[in-house]
Amino acid sequence: MMGTRRGTLALLMMLLAGAARADGDAARGEARFQDCAACHKLEAGANYVGPSLHGIFARKAGEIADFRYSPAIKRSGIVWTPETLDKFIADPQAMVPANRMPYAGMASADDRADLIAYLQNATK
Amino acid sequence: MTTKLKEVDVVIVGLGWTGGILAKELTEAGLQVVALERGASRSSENDYSLPNIRDELRYVVRHDLMQNTARDTITVRNNPQQEALPMRRLGSFLPGEVVGGSGVHWSGHTWRWTDMEFKVRSNYEERYGKKFIPDDMTIQDWGISYAELEPYYDKFERTAAVSGKAGNIGGQILAGGNPFEASRARDYPLPPLTPILASEMFTDAARNAGYHPFPRPSANASQPYTNPDGAKFGGCQYCGYCQRFGCEANAKGSPHMTVIPIAMRNPNFELRTHSWVTKVLKDSDGKRVTGVTYTNVLNGEEFEQPATIVLLCAYAINNVHLMLLSGIGQPYDPVAQKGVVGKNYCYQTGAGATLFFEGKYFNPFMNAGGSNATIDDFNTNWAFDRAPHNFLGGYNVSGGFNTVLPIGYRPVPSGTPRWGSEWKRATAKWYQTAMVINASGSVMANRYNCYDLDPTYRNAFGQPLMRMTFDYKDNEHKMGVHAAGVVNDIAKSMNPTRLNPATARTDPWTVVPYQSTHNTGGTIMGSNPRDSAVNKYLQSWDCHNLFVVGANVFPHNSSYNPTGPVGALAYWTADAIKNRYVKNPGPLVPA
Repeated sequence: MMGTRRGTLALLMMLLAGAARADGDAARGEARFQDCAACHKLEAGANYVGPSLHGIFARKAGEIADFRYSPAIKRSGIVWTPETLDKFIADPQAMVPANRMPYAGMASADDRADLIAYLQNATK
Repeated sequence: MTTKLKEVDVVIVGLGWTGGILAKELTEAGLQVVALERGASRSSENDYSLPNIRDELRYVVRHDLMQNTARDTITVRNNPQQEALPMRRLGSFLPGEVVGGSGVHWSGHTWRWTDMEFKVRSNYEERYGKKFIPDDMTIQDWGISYAELEPYYDKFERTAAVSGKAGNIGGQILAGGNPFEASRARDYPLPPLTPILASEMFTDAARNAGYHPFPRPSANASQPYTNPDGAKFGGCQYCGYCQRFGCEANAKGSPHMTVIPIAMRNPNFELRTHSWVTKVLKDSDGKRVTGVTYTNVLNGEEFEQPATIVLLCAYAINNVHLMLLSGIGQPYDPVAQKGVVGKNYCYQTGAGATLFFEGKYFNPFMNAGGSNATIDDFNTNWAFDRAPHNFLGGYNVSGGFNTVLPIGYRPVPSGTPRWGSEWKRATAKWYQTAMVINASGSVMANRYNCYDLDPTYRNAFGQPLMRMTFDYKDNEHKMGVHAAGVVNDIAKSMNPTRLNPATARTDPWTVVPYQSTHNTGGTIMGSNPRDSAVNKYLQSWDCHNLFVVGANVFPHNSSYNPTGPVGALAYWTADAIKNRYVKNPGPLVPA
């Protein structure tokens, strides 16, 4: 029963998240990046606990050759766009079950919009 | 053949919390530092990341991050009349053996020990009279004060990302924190962890009983955090794999992701792994040390590393072992009560209850290292009158979970068969419904609890093993009875369906099962060389360019986890070396 309810909730969140906002504030987003910075670096080739985020909006999930991705991410077929990243970080396990990122998700759509606005420049 | 290397300013033996802190501080002060670590280099990204880190067999059963007893171990006995035998498999305590040391696999509990400990003998004599302290209880004041250490506690809490709630800032008692803690200059760097059902239920019950519950301070970042050195922490994900594991989310304050990588960026610093120090070398008149000898355990090559300053920063037991092997300071003799090195070995004690609540779902697989609520009413509360109970020291009581392993944690009510279909039914039925309440108690020093070199058994390098002589004494037994009573009263007030009550331990201490990696003493600190091995700056009384850093300097053990003062003392010693010793090498305290 609990599983079903959680599934419904996740679906609802994904639908809501589908409408990613495009008007995020990059300055606020830099602070939101604190959630990610313990594992992800922005410099090219700087893989750490998580893969480098450099150039993320120009690639598919699981594409960096020398990073050890989970099978779930590799076969996800995700192409990273502001919309798909928004969906993913809202609830990573809902979008890609069994991925290995130890992060429960960023609940607030505003926070996610800010973060993505920041990443769009910072990952270039 | 021993290869003699070029002299460096500082050699550090062991690279965990204390070695890491000193490496960072002293390289920044311009000193050239070499660290020698027995273990391998491991990292968050390659070793502690998902999915490999969640391996109970590898890390818990096979002790992947801990000392290899095939190479070196200790021998153990309960009293001097017994013959000590080697501990061939780790059990009661788990020294780390890896870059980061035990700071990789700890839970994160970070306490501030206070003047209740640092002035232990004076306090008890003043309030209860000299006769209250048993003749064989060799407790003594530490020669340091809480006020001196306060800024260094603060520094360590900020380095390690401690989450908690202050109970006393500048003398003002704050609701929700520990009202018995000593005055702090400011709050913890991070708010407390999110409570879990078990800690909330304990909090309510403890409050109803008139006690003062508070969230346990722990170096598990309750939210993303950047420490003052720029090390980045993720927020704790409550994954349940904390104690005995590296952190998969970089949320547990550990030296391998804070002070050590910062030291490693400095060209003044060099780390040599797989480097086993066998001896500290003294000059001809024995007043100074000249360096160390070590063996590369991968190929057996032996080196001499000369150094101007030697810092022993290994696990507490191994620091004392090196002092004895190197003949620095007079070895302690418990019969004549002469000598200091090996004196006042202490451990901890405890009593715990398991409560079963039909219909409750505790989700024990989800927790942080510090998901406990705690009461200090019988610990740092000096108003608690020990006289009617006739014991010294104290214990803290906590409810909640900390690393409840999916395979190893199998709570069942007393009377359940230990195996078979009935056990399987019981473990399935009760797994979700159980919570624990634990008391953790201090151990006061006793003249017969000590270390020396074993006369029979030797390690892989042909050196005598360390011999530990330890047992609980009447003081611990009396405290155990009191603690079990308090635990059981709180437990019963919660009306569990079934209760496995706490019982005071009366049997002798043994090396199994796991109890606590809080071994203290052996090279204790103090105000004079007659009854201590190091001064208040952890500087050897015998050789002024040797500092011995770690819980081995504690003259007795409190009920608290030791890492708070271990980290604070490392920063304190770093300041003493940087600001005073290098400018004017010599004893920092006149003997």
